[in-house]
Amino acid sequence: MGGLTALLLIALTLLGAPLFTVIGAGAMLGFHREGVDLSVVAIEFFGLSETPVLVAIPLFTFAGFLLSAGQAPRRLVQLSQALLGWFPGGLAVVSLVMCALFTAFTGASGVTIIALGALLVPALSQAGYDERFNLGLITSSGSLGLLFAPSLPLILYGVVAEAPIDDLFVAGVLPGVLLIVVLSAYCYWRNRRVQYMKTKLPPGATWAAIREARWDLPLPIVVLGGIYSGYFAVSEAAAVTALYVTIVELVILRDVSWREVPRLMRESMVLVGAILVILGVSLASTNYMIDTGVPQRLFEAVRAYVEGPTTFLLVLLIFLLILGAILDIFSATVLIVPLILPVAGQYGIDPIHLGIVFLAAMELGYLTPPVGLNLFIASHRFDKDITEIYWATQPFLLASLLAVLVIAFWPGLSLMLLR
Amino acid sequence: MSEGSRHSWWDRVERFGRAAETWLIVALLGGLIVFASAQIVLRNLFSIGLTWGDGLTRLTVLWLALLGALAASREGRHVTMGAVTRWLPLRWQTGVRVAADLFAAVVSGAFAWYSLQFVQDSREFGDVLLNDVPAWRLQAIMPIVFALMAVQFLAHALRRALRRELGIEAS
Repeated sequence: MGGLTALLLIALTLLGAPLFTVIGAGAMLGFHREGVDLSVVAIEFFGLSETPVLVAIPLFTFAGFLLSAGQAPRRLVQLSQALLGWFPGGLAVVSLVMCALFTAFTGASGVTIIALGALLVPALSQAGYDERFNLGLITSSGSLGLLFAPSLPLILYGVVAEAPIDDLFVAGVLPGVLLIVVLSAYCYWRNRRVQYMKTKLPPGATWAAIREARWDLPLPIVVLGGIYSGYFAVSEAAAVTALYVTIVELVILRDVSWREVPRLMRESMVLVGAILVILGVSLASTNYMIDTGVPQRLFEAVRAYVEGPTTFLLVLLIFLLILGAILDIFSATVLIVPLILPVAGQYGIDPIHLGIVFLAAMELGYLTPPVGLNLFIASHRFDKDITEIYWATQPFLLASLLAVLVIAFWPGLSLMLLR
Repeated sequence: MSEGSRHSWWDRVERFGRAAETWLIVALLGGLIVFASAQIVLRNLFSIGLTWGDGLTRLTVLWLALLGALAASREGRHVTMGAVTRWLPLRWQTGVRVAADLFAAVVSGAFAWYSLQFVQDSREFGDVLLNDVPAWRLQAIMPIVFALMAVQFLAHALRRALRRELGIEAS
């Protein structure tokens, strides 16, 4: 692609043209220059219907929308408060774990901050944590579950990198746990002097909370158990989740009325459509870039400056942190992964490990000023100035960065469960 | 034709389009949930595998993605990186957005055109999917949706330009 065309496309992106049109235009111009018939872009786009695991995406997304629309977030908060609220720093740690679980199930679209934040922030301040800490905690937890099954970014990485999704799910476990442990340690340390309100729960409250959540509790067990044991394929687990959540929310508990279903389905498919249309056009642009040897040229350019896998990973991390701050995780995955995957391969980096590093770094990108998505959502949701949210998240950002460095430079952490 | 009646005519088309999208999405997504679950039951309890089953679920995902993308175009909710435009002077913003919408309309139109060629080729070659269904019938949604998306982007551009004409700046 000529330099001028590229500049024009970048300008259009910055002026707010939908990303898929920019990528699509790039692919068409590129193929046109190579003298290839342009119906190739349509053929590539149709490839969306030849990728089995994509079936999981609309199913999980709808299940997540339905879960957040009902009372499941409230029941979860109640249950964990009853079980662990008495433990010093307990509620903060529980919030982290719950947000991680919820994000894994709902994708990383900011739903966690909106659905759980409104419940957790008051609960936390009631328990004696200060406001700034609470804001930082919830904002940074909003993307914490990305490394756990069945998160959409993990699935999408598997699709784009043509890596086995099951392996990615297994590889994400320990790095995901590490992130939670590091953040929990910070929460504990930060609040070591806080006088906790001894929330006196009436006797039987714990049991009542468990009873109330009895329909929600089997879900993670069935889905995660099914996926990790290999009983379900990912798309099957998605179908089971969607059906289960539909029956529980609409028929058994009647949390959500049938009249709301069309709106929820439409809303969730707007998200799915926006992601998949980008994936569809980028199938074409990736094909063009590989045909014309872009990854190879990129590798040669990188090799001139970067020696050895360690330096490469460091440079990659810096690049991804910047990228994550300006581009959402789905677009970044479909656009950048096809380029860095072959380059990383030349440096001997395992594609599964690369995926975990990529997603962990992008997870931080959600919190990186100026445009990290979580910062905006939290600012909007809690009606706080964005700079206040920046400062509140800084310590969490630093703690997560520490964990991400460990994840990047210790491949064994991601790969040991696979061996 | 007066200004008012022209608007109500377009409003009616918009309402119809939105409702059609929503109900198609409901039918396809509802069908997907039921069919994908039924397949698991059939396979595990009765050892029945439908040869066209997986193909059908995958095509449903493509249709859902396209309808979702169309809905996103209507509501202006595609993924963009246009945060920068917020810092532009207000009087430039309309122009910039109109240009971005027009560009999106042109690209979607081109996509519709080349999808049409793809569908025509597929029809000529007699491609089949799901055992014996002519592939072009299942693929025809691509040019249709991309063309409708082009119309949506064009409508956004016109609406913004008109509002500017009438002195209502984009906020």
